[in-house]
Amino acid sequence: MSDAALPTAHAPTASLWQRTHGWITNPWGRPRFLVLITWGYMVWAIVPVIIAIQFSFNETRSRTIWSGFSLRWYTWDPSDSVMNDPSLRQALAQSFKLAGADVLVAVPIGVALALGLARWRGRGSGTSNFIMLFPLVTPEIVMGVSLLLVFTHIFTFVHTGTLAQILGHVTFSISYVVVIVRGRLFSIGRQYEEAAADLGASPGVALYRVLLPLLTPAIVASAAIVFALSIDDFVISFWLSNGGGTVTVPMQIYAATRAAPLPSTNAIATIMVAVTLLTVLAGFLVYRVFTRGERVAGGGMVGDMAAFDI
Amino acid sequence: MAGEVTLVDLVKRFGDVAAVDGINLEMPSGEFFSMLGPSGCGKTTTLRMIAGFEQPTEGRILLDGNDMAYTPPHKRNVNTVFQSYALFPHLNVADNVAFGLKRQKVGKHEIRERVAETLELVQLTGFERRKPAQMSGGQQQRVALARALVLKPSVLLLDEPLGALDAKLRKALQIELKALQQQVGITFIYVTHDQEEALTMSDRIAVMADGKVEQVAPPREVYEEPSTVFVADFLGVSNLMDAEAVGGANICRLQLGDFELDATQGKTDARGPVQVTIRPERVHLEPQESTGQNHIPGMVERLVYLGNSVQVIVHLAIGTTIQALVQNVGTEIPWKQGTAVQAHLPADALRVLEDTGAALAPLDEGAVPA
Repeated sequence: MSDAALPTAHAPTASLWQRTHGWITNPWGRPRFLVLITWGYMVWAIVPVIIAIQFSFNETRSRTIWSGFSLRWYTWDPSDSVMNDPSLRQALAQSFKLAGADVLVAVPIGVALALGLARWRGRGSGTSNFIMLFPLVTPEIVMGVSLLLVFTHIFTFVHTGTLAQILGHVTFSISYVVVIVRGRLFSIGRQYEEAAADLGASPGVALYRVLLPLLTPAIVASAAIVFALSIDDFVISFWLSNGGGTVTVPMQIYAATRAAPLPSTNAIATIMVAVTLLTVLAGFLVYRVFTRGERVAGGGMVGDMAAFDI
Repeated sequence: MAGEVTLVDLVKRFGDVAAVDGINLEMPSGEFFSMLGPSGCGKTTTLRMIAGFEQPTEGRILLDGNDMAYTPPHKRNVNTVFQSYALFPHLNVADNVAFGLKRQKVGKHEIRERVAETLELVQLTGFERRKPAQMSGGQQQRVALARALVLKPSVLLLDEPLGALDAKLRKALQIELKALQQQVGITFIYVTHDQEEALTMSDRIAVMADGKVEQVAPPREVYEEPSTVFVADFLGVSNLMDAEAVGGANICRLQLGDFELDATQGKTDARGPVQVTIRPERVHLEPQESTGQNHIPGMVERLVYLGNSVQVIVHLAIGTTIQALVQNVGTEIPWKQGTAVQAHLPADALRVLEDTGAALAPLDEGAVPA
């Protein structure tokens, strides 16, 4: 019996075919094909951006033939660099102005709306929750045109230009803030507010001392996303612009690419990419720091944002 | 001494459903009072009304004689230990415990003293700087206790505070909680679905079902002298049998199928169809040939080894199946599957019950959150 107790010792070794076949089909093995597809997609998605960034550092005016590294299109070209071309400088300033204003206006309103909607029970609450998602699914061009019509025919005191652009950005940004903050509100539940009230905190104190600190990660994350969305926006900025000083970076890039593109266009695009990435990264890091230790309880940022995809 | 809670005709409806359906309870100062029942029996809703998180549809909640049914929670001198603890994750232990004191505008120096004092009471000295997430479930539970006790409430409400802990820790904390309650001397109102928890700690237990109170009594009385079928069934395993009460006064004569039995417990003056119950540990199994009053023949259907005892499931000649508990005293028990036995149901262990019609609890005692 002692020999037979180890049947595997005498079993024939699996053939090469069996082993490779098993290696590929084993459902519990590492997901090699998925990894391959993922990396393939990442390369596909990132290569155009890398090339665009690369040519922003080109020495010559060409956007297709690489001739050496330089910062010409950022700083030292006397007329066409980002630093020295007034239209590019202005576009950069306008984009940051819109994004900053958008964050300052949309985030507080969005947080207040999220609190209201999350606490509102009864008639109308379902409808308003649904309407909140409207800007997320409305085609931007429709929204841009409608806003233009509203500002030129109904709310005529709003003239096209910076104010109209800010209002336009705020209009679609608020939904993102509401969705993110409301997601967090649902995941933290009512228990902390009840505990605060139980310990003698009035509703105001509970909001300030307990709820807002717990919402901070969601607020920071939504601010980062609003900033990134606003910086990226073309359609609404375009429809509500009145030319001149209200041209944003995406509009500038669009115009330049259609006329005589220079590597300075790539340079300004690179700056946008860098700023957007840094903003989102900063938001993510703040989120991580603030939610440290409660990762087990919920799905973290991903869980809070599961209600929609950005 | 303060801390007397009285519930008068308390009703809470959610839509058409009455979660709490007319409850009258008196919880005197300094008592460890438990509300015990299956999930959905209204015990948590009742507790939340005492805390102020829910407003009663009807009725009054008196704290030391003052109606506080419509006082908001932050103005009530009661504090809650939540089932999920609800410790503020952004504050460390000391700040969690100090939260309520700061709301009362207590001086800095006194806050520090009272926090230290209370943390010592729950044996957490040295944990002041920890965040809740860096602590075990048992430690978090103590922080939750400290956070409520530091305010010196006249009543402490506990909503299944041990529900999330493992069995061993739960047992240890049961004893600690009881000791703590005796030490601080305030009223504890404790909600649980765990009968053992309620029996171990309480001065009195209210057994609840379907939004109503079935019985209020000290632990021994609810277990030994259940007044309704529901209570008998919910606390421990009861053998319930249909019977016909045919006569007698102090000793009730019962007809179970072809057998006549005497019962001396419960509603012995009842007549007509009743239910009788007997605890498994009071059922004596005797050899087939033994005879006497209150003996019913049966056959062993199954044996379940429980460690300290053996559960014998016996199919009786009257058609019902009952459980008998035989203590493990080291000798092997003589019954096997299929053995014919006589089940002796002593008259002083048989209890005649009235049926209130409350839904019976499921037999398994799994952790069902309320």
